[in-house]
Amino acid sequence: MLTVLIYGAVTSAILAMLAVGFTLIFGVARILNLAHGAFYALGAYCTYSLTATYKVPLIVAALASVALVALFGMAMERVLVRPQRQSSLAVLMITLMVALTVEQVLFVVFGSQSKNVPAFINFPVYLHGVSLDGQRLLALAVAVCLIGALWLFIQRTRLGSAILAISQDPEAAQYMGIPANRIFSLVMGLSAALAGAAGVIAGPFLSVRPTMDQTAMITAFSVVIVGGLGSIPGSILAALIIGYSETFVAFYLNPEWTGTVSLVAILLTLVLRPAGLMGRAVGA
Amino acid sequence: MGGAVLVGLLAAAPPLLHNQYFTGVFIVCAIEAIWAASWNFFSGLTGRENFGTALFIGGGAYTAAFFNSTFGLNAWWSIPGGIVVAVVLGLVVGFPTLRLKGPYFALATLASAAIMQQVAINLWQYTGGSEGIYGLDRLVDSSLGYYYFVLAVLLATVLVLSLIAHSRWGTILRAIKGDETACQAAGINVTVYKIASLALSAAFAGLGGVLFAHYQQAVTPDDFDVFLSISVIIMAYVGGIGSIWGAAVGGILLNLMLELLRGMGEYRLLVYYLILMVVLFFMRSGVVVPLWRRLSGGRSA
Amino acid sequence: MSALLEVEGLTKRFSGVTAVKDVSFTLAAGEITGVLGPNGAGKTTLFNLLTGFLPSDHGAARLEGRSILRAAPHTIVNLGVARTFQLCRPFHGMTVRENVVVGCLAPRAQIGAGLEQRVSDILEEVGLAHKSEQPVDILPYGDLRRLEIGRALATRPKLLLLDEPFAGLGAGEIEPLVQLIHRLHDTQGLTILIIEHKLREFMQLVSRVIAMDFGEIIAIGEPADIVRNPLVIESYIGKADHGVA
Repeated sequence: MLTVLIYGAVTSAILAMLAVGFTLIFGVARILNLAHGAFYALGAYCTYSLTATYKVPLIVAALASVALVALFGMAMERVLVRPQRQSSLAVLMITLMVALTVEQVLFVVFGSQSKNVPAFINFPVYLHGVSLDGQRLLALAVAVCLIGALWLFIQRTRLGSAILAISQDPEAAQYMGIPANRIFSLVMGLSAALAGAAGVIAGPFLSVRPTMDQTAMITAFSVVIVGGLGSIPGSILAALIIGYSETFVAFYLNPEWTGTVSLVAILLTLVLRPAGLMGRAVGA
Repeated sequence: MGGAVLVGLLAAAPPLLHNQYFTGVFIVCAIEAIWAASWNFFSGLTGRENFGTALFIGGGAYTAAFFNSTFGLNAWWSIPGGIVVAVVLGLVVGFPTLRLKGPYFALATLASAAIMQQVAINLWQYTGGSEGIYGLDRLVDSSLGYYYFVLAVLLATVLVLSLIAHSRWGTILRAIKGDETACQAAGINVTVYKIASLALSAAFAGLGGVLFAHYQQAVTPDDFDVFLSISVIIMAYVGGIGSIWGAAVGGILLNLMLELLRGMGEYRLLVYYLILMVVLFFMRSGVVVPLWRRLSGGRSA
Repeated sequence: MSALLEVEGLTKRFSGVTAVKDVSFTLAAGEITGVLGPNGAGKTTLFNLLTGFLPSDHGAARLEGRSILRAAPHTIVNLGVARTFQLCRPFHGMTVRENVVVGCLAPRAQIGAGLEQRVSDILEEVGLAHKSEQPVDILPYGDLRRLEIGRALATRPKLLLLDEPFAGLGAGEIEPLVQLIHRLHDTQGLTILIIEHKLREFMQLVSRVIAMDFGEIIAIGEPADIVRNPLVIESYIGKADHGVA
């Protein structure tokens, strides 16, 4: 029981990291970034590559990977997405293409077999007589810290207020002299960094293969839809709901069906309450 | 007329090349062209981009598999069966999702196809899981014969959909794209038109799925894959959004390109995607239709 | 004269704000009536309620005895109520002609083979015949207004709701539009309800004015009386402090 509780929390935490980044860039720049899962994959593969091939110490590799993914995200936004911003569907297409391309690159460079990303914590931790995977607990802790830090950043700093302003009314924000484009880059960087960090921290215990971006994408996506596109609290709440749902299904029903939980959640939400739990109205 | 030349070329090519393998390539090209045309009919005209065409394709394909392989019916029954199933899927998905705004509709359709894919994998007792179902019969035994059959279906598809697109139905769909609210204010029951159009689009996509299943003589969950949905969209983009025949030609071109890249081994898909990205990025109004307009001296198509 | 439109106690609330409050009035067939009021008075909301674009909370609205509430917009159009929008909404990517064609495709319009002729007639009526093949995206605003009226006419309405038809028009464009509305009323016996807050155009067109403020009707009467009505004057001047014309 405790295991389910903790593992549910871990899954929720990782999902929250992915979802918050995705919902952030949407809320601020109205970009539905289907390459978000690719950031996650790149985070894991980068860490793997740096440690396995270049023998870089783990902590350095982890930080470098997050930074590299953030830069990649910012570059993608600047070069590929920004010129297409008038059409949200063009953005969908181009980011999806980026995701597929990254997947192919990973496939070509690393092959289709799963890779082992080294863990920070290799030993189990004992809680109430139950043995828990140390890395998973670390992932939970890191996720909570990062999301908390992001939340504080947005609520307490000037830059954070600027971000909030843009997400609520981009035009008004521009009139007030807030440099929208620079903020988009920054937010994309943050978003990618969060996703990359999720890959780094969860890589050790979740599967690392070129198609990992797809599962991550679909699940993160479902969290964002259920929580409401653009709402960070919504994403966190939905992450808990979906994270625990998946854990319950895996433990008590059939592990094969965990993938379906998120898909069904997406469809139910879009049909019943498209705005999600805490989002804005989106009916035609 | 240029169209006739093109059709002539398409008809003549395989026998001239006299190569079983290339005939197979052309068959797939023609099927993909059917899919692209069907997609363009709904999404190109209404502007509501359907990201889950694979749902209808897979629906048609698996129906063919069930009818022919699992239940042993004559292969020709797959055609009406696949169309009916695809239409039902179109109605089921269309009803709740068509009132959603642009990106949300796209995502709902994407999710629908993905769900179906999961279902196909998970219900392995009935669907053969990741392996799928095999042992379907060819509709027409000779490859060349199959090709001409598919080509005929393609021509019929383009003809029918083009006729409808240029009819009053098509005008209403374009008005929906122009301003849906104003369309309602003009007394048009927008929902009925959207659903009917999606169902029609689904019917042809499903038909293509049936033809594909009987050609491959097998179906797998990949028939529901997002890659398939995206490919179809890109074919329509390359052809020129809103042009039925353009999409068909786009489908043929892209598949030929994919085939030609076979020599690149494991880099094949990567190069393909990179080329697609370039096309998407620089040629927003497509390749085929603008090129055709330029070649035919700027007369409107 | 029989009442074409009867509205009783129509009410609409938006989370705390009552946009339209207990509105009741009657329109006789063939009348041109105006709805007057400052911004935020609830005029467009009233139109949206009467045309099915917003669901009402309370009240009734009947066209020739038939309720037009709780119906989809297209159903109401096919009962005989057509409208134009405050900000023109043409069908982008289509020509002037095609825009009117769509209106003719409404079931109510009952066009069979005579589509081309009907479209030409309508374009002639609204003065856009010479621009029929032009894409709407390059049309000047005055022409867009005419187009929207033409599209509404295509549905053979009994009641035409015009939402601020003179907004955004230059001085030279207003008078021809006034003439057009007069002409349509005289030749086709249309009942017309116009929202405007430019008084001068009103005076020329309407025989009766419904004045609104804060979602309620504050006065109904002839234009000359309404303009002198202290409540109406106050509703405008009171708002002038907030910078609204």
